[in-house]
Amino acid sequence: MSASQTIVPQTPSIANLKTDQDLGKYGIWLVISTEGFLFVDLFFSYFYLANRTGRWNVEIPPKLGFALILLAILLASSVVLHLFGEKAVEKEKYGAARAGVAATLLLGLIFLALEGYSMYLSWSNLTPATDSYGSIFYTILCFHAAHVIVGSLMLIYVLFLPLGPSETTPHRPLHSATLYWHFVDAVWIFVVLFLFILPNL
Amino acid sequence: MSAAVQQHLTEMWESPHTIRGWFATVDHKTLGKRYLASAFIFLLVGGVEALIMRIQLTGANQSFISPETYDQLFTMHGMTMIYWYAAPVLSGFSIYFVPLLIGARDLAYPRLNAFTYWTLVLSFILLYLSSFAGQSPHAGWFAHAPYTEAAYSPGYGMDVFVMSLILLTISTTGGAINLIVSILRLRAPGMSISKMPVYLYSTLTMSVLIVVAMPALTVAGVFLELDRRYSTHFFTVARDGNPILWQQLFWFFAHPWVYIVFLPATGIISMLLPVFCRRPLVGYPYVVLSTMMTGLTGFGVWVHHMFSIGMSQMAMSFFSAASMTISIFTAIQVFAWVATIWKGRPILTAAMHWAGGFMALLVIGGLNGIVSAVVPVDWQVHDTYFLLAHLHYVLIGGNVFPVFAGLYYWLPKITGRMMSERLGKWSFWVSFIGFNIGFFPMHLLGIAGMPRRIYTYPAELGLDSLNLTATIGSFIFGVGILLSIVNFFKSLRNGAIAGKDPWKADTLEWATDSPPSAYEVVHIPSVTSRSPLWDDHDENFDPYNERILDQGRLTLATTWLDAKPLAISRLPGDSLAPLWLSLVLFLFFGAMIMHWLWVALAAVIASVACAYYWVWPKPQKGVA
Repeated sequence: MSASQTIVPQTPSIANLKTDQDLGKYGIWLVISTEGFLFVDLFFSYFYLANRTGRWNVEIPPKLGFALILLAILLASSVVLHLFGEKAVEKEKYGAARAGVAATLLLGLIFLALEGYSMYLSWSNLTPATDSYGSIFYTILCFHAAHVIVGSLMLIYVLFLPLGPSETTPHRPLHSATLYWHFVDAVWIFVVLFLFILPNL
Repeated sequence: MSAAVQQHLTEMWESPHTIRGWFATVDHKTLGKRYLASAFIFLLVGGVEALIMRIQLTGANQSFISPETYDQLFTMHGMTMIYWYAAPVLSGFSIYFVPLLIGARDLAYPRLNAFTYWTLVLSFILLYLSSFAGQSPHAGWFAHAPYTEAAYSPGYGMDVFVMSLILLTISTTGGAINLIVSILRLRAPGMSISKMPVYLYSTLTMSVLIVVAMPALTVAGVFLELDRRYSTHFFTVARDGNPILWQQLFWFFAHPWVYIVFLPATGIISMLLPVFCRRPLVGYPYVVLSTMMTGLTGFGVWVHHMFSIGMSQMAMSFFSAASMTISIFTAIQVFAWVATIWKGRPILTAAMHWAGGFMALLVIGGLNGIVSAVVPVDWQVHDTYFLLAHLHYVLIGGNVFPVFAGLYYWLPKITGRMMSERLGKWSFWVSFIGFNIGFFPMHLLGIAGMPRRIYTYPAELGLDSLNLTATIGSFIFGVGILLSIVNFFKSLRNGAIAGKDPWKADTLEWATDSPPSAYEVVHIPSVTSRSPLWDDHDENFDPYNERILDQGRLTLATTWLDAKPLAISRLPGDSLAPLWLSLVLFLFFGAMIMHWLWVALAAVIASVACAYYWVWPKPQKGVA
């Protein structure tokens, strides 16, 4: 068409554009969104069951101390992952970054072990079969633990990832794993608040 | 552009014609076609189930099938149509056409796309394997607790319900994420959000609804399975459980689901009406906004499925009002379509016939929906054939008719062949008349008090003649649908060659060959208006050949608001990993149904291995 010569969109030169490093990031953000709604639904169920049964003032409230220690571990792991993992990669210190990821992973595994132990302790007076409170309590904990495991699997992947040309997919795998890890930690804050602090008030 | 460049692009994008290539392909065009074909097979399966039920209900006290079989049939019919046909058929259109509409070479995550297709098919197989054992789900598509608990529903049926749906949820959510990122990230330069075709908005809204609403189904399903097999007490009243929790979670998912299967269908109508009326859509911003508002408001109406459980006046008033609000947004769209026809010069093609039928049925279904949103009326007609009539008017009217309009409009692009207009119009009229004969009497049956989900009724009630009419109508409807299928296969053999743009349409998908080549377009198009093929701007104008992008599987990433070029996105190529992961997940959910926990554990470990294999970096085409 002749008119086309006159209407050329003003765009930056495409030849100078870099490779897209953010495509994976949006996907992981959406995964986090939908998983976030999963936990919203779980917490909704927790309060809905509580409201309808007129109790949640459980006779033996879950032990707060353990949950707070676990919270400290997870928050520390997020800080480690951010400062020693991502920041190191930005400075292209890949060895240090791997050490940071390994430290995070270790904290994650300690978290899982301690959480398992705390569930073992509470099992004597509360099981999922006790009543609806026991059911939702353990279900939320296990859902969260499953997410910690998935996050750990992502970190294991990043830990052993070979250093290749930056074009290869996935894009910025550490960034995606980090975002997911922070999400899992953030969920634990709400778990502590709703499942541990509220019944102890 | 030179043949060498086209040759190079083809090598880069085409899947090899081998058995491995067939299973490993990530081409959105191939996968979109498979989605559509699968969804139509599911539609036929669900349709046959419906016809068997109509035979049973032809007269009073019939015993064509047993009550147990009838329960399984209406459940499988509902599940097949609502979960496996209605949304996947729209996903099929989106997967095929979204990259073409935005001028990208594929979706943002091509391998995820293959994964969601395989999980869709495998979840359907998982569901229907239960039929061979005679243990299909039998509690309706919404499976209200506590009837679904192990004590009242022994056997594998409800476990199949839970597991096949969770597998489907994974598929649907993955597809939605793929579409959202593609639409927001990979649009052609210049296609700012104010210039996006309406179909992209409806797809985007649908996808956001899926991301938000689907987890509720997963949570409800997990609770049910835990209750059935692992002695928890979510829905058992004896241990402080609450069966209403199922309804809250389920309908929080399922009402948005109604818009998930409806909104993209309205998007199809908003695409083809302007083409056949030869003018741009009237009220584009209002149509777009009401699409998004329908999605948003759709989250505030789920309780209207539960008016009869006993709740406060305040709650009922709120949800009743919210339900009526939805009709305003739908009405805005309907008026925009009517105005487009009014102001344009409509050409009554077969696609336009189906679109017109859609509007007529939607208005009828919408009006009796408003009636049902009134709480006292809802109490009266709850669980009767009136509701059945309403939901079929909105679902068949709001999904099947626009889907057929979309098929008559878009199939020439997919197959490269025109379908017969004459047979298409015949198909429409037979379907439209058959549908109304089949479903209008159900309003009267419902008001007369016929409850849904009963396998027969006594002769004294005098329901025979209306039921007979409904059965005759449903068979006529089936014949109408069959005519379109015949039309499709005839067009494959001897339809006229479609060419690039048989309808002289305005959007980018019509700038490609029919069917599109593997790489779609040599130059990623640039856009300056809402109707790129109707304006003076040449989409392919690219004097420095900047937008050929042939150094690998590349497409252009742009800013989400203005669609300014941002980066070059590198897309992965063919892989068998998605298929392996789907198969392992299929094994996992199957083992969970059979309660083989060690097999399930092995499948979990295998799925981790598959996932690692999937994401492990591999050298790519075009990279030295």
